[in-house]
Amino acid sequence: MSNPYVPMPVTIEKIVIENKVRDIKTFDLRFNDKKDADRFKFNCGQFAEISILGVGESPIGIASSPMDEDFVQFTVKKYPTGTVTSVLHNLCTGDVIGVRGPYGNGFPMKEFEGKNLLIIGGGFALTTLRSLTKYILHKKNRQCFKDITLLYGARGPGELIYRSELDEWDKRDDINIILTVDDRCGLDWKGCVGMVPNVLKEQAPGSKDCIALVCGPFIMVKYTIPPLLDLGFIPEKIFTSLEMRMKCGIGKCGRCNIGSKYVCKDGPVFTYKELQGMPNEY
Amino acid sequence: MENKIFKLIKKKEILKLLESLTKEYNIFVPIEDNGDARFSEFKSGQDIYWDYRNTKISPKEILFPQAETLFCFGPEAEVKSEEPASGGKGYLIFGIRPCDAKAISLLDKVFGGEDFEDPYYLERRKKTTVISLACNKPQIDCFCTSLNGKPDNEEGADVILFDLGEDILAGAVTKKGEKFIEKQNKWFEDAGQSDVAKKDKIMDLSLKKIKSQIDIQNIKERLDNDFTASFWDEIHQKCLGCGICTYFCPTCHCFDITDEINPKAADSKTPKGKRVRCWDSCMYPLFTLHASGHNPRPTYKERMRQRIMHKFNYCPENYSEIFCVGCGRCVRNCPVNIDLREMLISIESTK
Repeated sequence: MSNPYVPMPVTIEKIVIENKVRDIKTFDLRFNDKKDADRFKFNCGQFAEISILGVGESPIGIASSPMDEDFVQFTVKKYPTGTVTSVLHNLCTGDVIGVRGPYGNGFPMKEFEGKNLLIIGGGFALTTLRSLTKYILHKKNRQCFKDITLLYGARGPGELIYRSELDEWDKRDDINIILTVDDRCGLDWKGCVGMVPNVLKEQAPGSKDCIALVCGPFIMVKYTIPPLLDLGFIPEKIFTSLEMRMKCGIGKCGRCNIGSKYVCKDGPVFTYKELQGMPNEY
Repeated sequence: MENKIFKLIKKKEILKLLESLTKEYNIFVPIEDNGDARFSEFKSGQDIYWDYRNTKISPKEILFPQAETLFCFGPEAEVKSEEPASGGKGYLIFGIRPCDAKAISLLDKVFGGEDFEDPYYLERRKKTTVISLACNKPQIDCFCTSLNGKPDNEEGADVILFDLGEDILAGAVTKKGEKFIEKQNKWFEDAGQSDVAKKDKIMDLSLKKIKSQIDIQNIKERLDNDFTASFWDEIHQKCLGCGICTYFCPTCHCFDITDEINPKAADSKTPKGKRVRCWDSCMYPLFTLHASGHNPRPTYKERMRQRIMHKFNYCPENYSEIFCVGCGRCVRNCPVNIDLREMLISIESTK
């Protein structure tokens, strides 16, 4: 019986500071044991427990694409009260930490094939949507999907993460990128200004044969769903990913449930239709 | 209990039987301790508390300890040793009450499971034999019969025992139990019809002593649409949030995982620390507090609702079982006399 509680050792290969406030960093992790890397086969939208021995564990969405074979990436925001995230932010390249997973259901990518996709992200919650976007834009996969639109917003231009990647994607003709900020913050900014739900209303993308994926602060998700419904998206075609405090990640420790569903193993990805059937406790 | 083969053994002989098994098993028996009953490891010369009603703390801790080391680590970043060690002595839980034995069968569903298995629990469980002791004297706040239990309920037990006074009547419940009795055959004699009749009489009497009856046959369905019902505003009002109900509960299984550091581990051989899991409680505000400060269950109301819903709605949904065995511990031990039975009745009557 393999032990799901024991983390696999990984080495931090690279650290990128993602935002101006410097509290969001992306960590490139490489498995110390090749066998662990082979074992860690994941889908877009899954998460893993990042483990720092002596400090604890924290569930974090996987930010890299399943097509990236050499490393696995996690984008982590540091919270003052977040024990693990605070320590993680002080680590350097070459340091060894642990990872266990992957956990959760992830996005049903097969179901999305042959469809248009409207990807809506807010703040640093773009992480698993970035995994999905990278996966779709991979040359082996791109032809499986139709039109792709990414609407991504943050408080200010300095808070948009994956900036260089977004610029690269913007140059491509097979993805439509719409960036928005709540406030220009006095910076040079050519994108939209306004909250994600409002920009969505203005842009009014078509809902025909289209799947909407929304990840962000829950308040953003909540206000993005009504305009999506107005645009003709049905609840079954709207996907989101939830967060909960977790410990085990495998449906045993009993804290991440919303009703009878465990976010760690029944989620974190749910359709709006599923959310409608769940108690309002998240 | 049709055609069950019963064996008979003298109470005095049981001590000798257990003594003969100490090399093979870690044996846990009910003992008297300061007026309370609790399970303790059986040692030579130990007496068994035959007349105990039920132990204050549930015997779930034998299989799911309040705190256990998942693994040690360090001095560098490596995981040192992986528990659980397989092999070793078996576990013999002797004299557990039927409600608590049933609770073990419920915990099996959580820690087993189709997708992920919990190796710590299962390793122990695999080598455990459960010998239950039917209840002759249920307590005033026992309500197992409301939850499909009874004083001689067999779920979760491998062997069930009946206290006939001088003698103990034993019946195997599972194959494991059959094998156990077969192997220890020399201690037993065949039971006569009069012994079985005596047992039936005691059980009938015992069943009649359980006066506390609440109708919760359809509790799961009733709670399906009750998440926003008004009774949730009422039933938590007295609660102090001490969590004792969950600690005493034989089916509560929520846990926390934390790291402990050994400050004296200066040399390169000593583990730097260990990762430990310990019981946690849904009645605590920190249980669901996000690092961001958001808490999906911020008040007593949501937490009490979680406790009730988890047992009577979510577990029935996920495991097809109500996660309450009617042992009455939460009722007996609540410092402000919150009575689960009353809560369930009020849930029913508010509708």
